[in-house]
Amino acid sequence: MSTVAERLDEVVEDFVDLDGREKLEMLLEYAATLPPLPPGQKGLDENRVHECQSPVFIRVELKPTSDGHAGVHLQAEVAEEAPTVKGFVAMLAKAFTGRPTDEVLAVDDTLLDRLGLADVLGMLRTRGLRAIIEYVKRGVVRSLADSAS
Amino acid sequence: MASYANEDVLVSTEWVANVAANPEAHPNVRIVESDEDRALYTQGHVPGAVEIDWQVDLQDATWRDYIDRAAFEDLCRRKGISNDTTVVFYGDKSNWWACYAFWTFKLYGHADCRIMNGGRKKWALDGRPWSTDRVDPAPGTYTASEQDMSIRALRDEVLKHQKAGKPLVDVRSPEEYTGARLHMPDYPNEGSLRGGHIPGAISIPWPLSVNEDGTFKSAKELEKLYVKDAKLRRRSATVAYCRIGERSSLTWFVLTYLLGFSNVKNYDGSWLEWGNAVRMPIVQGPTPDGSAAPASPDTPTA
Repeated sequence: MSTVAERLDEVVEDFVDLDGREKLEMLLEYAATLPPLPPGQKGLDENRVHECQSPVFIRVELKPTSDGHAGVHLQAEVAEEAPTVKGFVAMLAKAFTGRPTDEVLAVDDTLLDRLGLADVLGMLRTRGLRAIIEYVKRGVVRSLADSAS
Repeated sequence: MASYANEDVLVSTEWVANVAANPEAHPNVRIVESDEDRALYTQGHVPGAVEIDWQVDLQDATWRDYIDRAAFEDLCRRKGISNDTTVVFYGDKSNWWACYAFWTFKLYGHADCRIMNGGRKKWALDGRPWSTDRVDPAPGTYTASEQDMSIRALRDEVLKHQKAGKPLVDVRSPEEYTGARLHMPDYPNEGSLRGGHIPGAISIPWPLSVNEDGTFKSAKELEKLYVKDAKLRRRSATVAYCRIGERSSLTWFVLTYLLGFSNVKNYDGSWLEWGNAVRMPIVQGPTPDGSAAPASPDTPTA
């Protein structure tokens, strides 16, 4: 099973040779793969990402994996009016799911530069996506603290 | 007021659908989408519409300003817009960004700008078709004017305006106006250090100007809101602001084109500048002068 870094390298591969329009199309492809939040988790304020412009809910959990470590599990609900955010969250969900917490916490925000999204989205929107990475990492730290107590 | 001051500036989705269905019959019309989320255009746009993005296309990438005149001319040429083109703007979020792009086009003196009433939302509600085709229009020929500063207020001018007690309209949410929060509910804090509003500014949140379906409120409703209730005057110099000048370009549009105000400026620096700059007067609380709220120091004289 590939690591978070390897999976993100694959995502970057997907993006790197695309023009701006194709990058947005790729984000839309990712957006279509985002699994929905389970019914009981929809619209819960505790899952709300307040850094985000449109309604975005992300639930970060730790679940034991087959080899015994705690794996990151990410589910999200993103408003249809925000397909860019939805695509980005879907990308993170795909890269993070089932992987150990230290791999997720090691992800830095150079990811956005490597994806080449800043030129397509502009500075303010890119900052919003950075905030999502930070939000997920905070969720991981919180889940670790909860499971330790 | 039974009808809008400028009836022609708004076009219906039906009008746009006709243009989209028969582009050869309307060679002089260019439909332009401007969104908060760029991927919406990619996902589906009005057939034949080009995209102009407020951040990537209209803002200079280096200094905090709009693109310069030469870059604007180049943008228009690339988007198939000439000086005599009728440009119809529409977008998401009740046409915020469409109004922002409209305002920028007026800043560079474009003659014929329109807004598709209701934007993306109304187009979808009407069940009209979306297209994912790449639109590659024949280049336009364009010569822009110098910036028309009669619609744009910079910081020092707003400060003078404020000191003279002239009308200011704060179109942000009530929470941003009172200073309870530094950004829109649900929006990221884009870095204002202080909360509150410009002393004397009245609060008229922008959503009061639009209906649930994204269209503008009727002339009568707008007249009541801005003129009868808020006591704004058509000929008084008036400045509108928000956080980064996007919501206030919608209010600028409403006042100027729908209500016929003759002297409205958009302060595009808005709270992201005012709430960060040193020694700008700020008051907090629900009233224009900040009364019934903790006192804030007057602007120092030295």
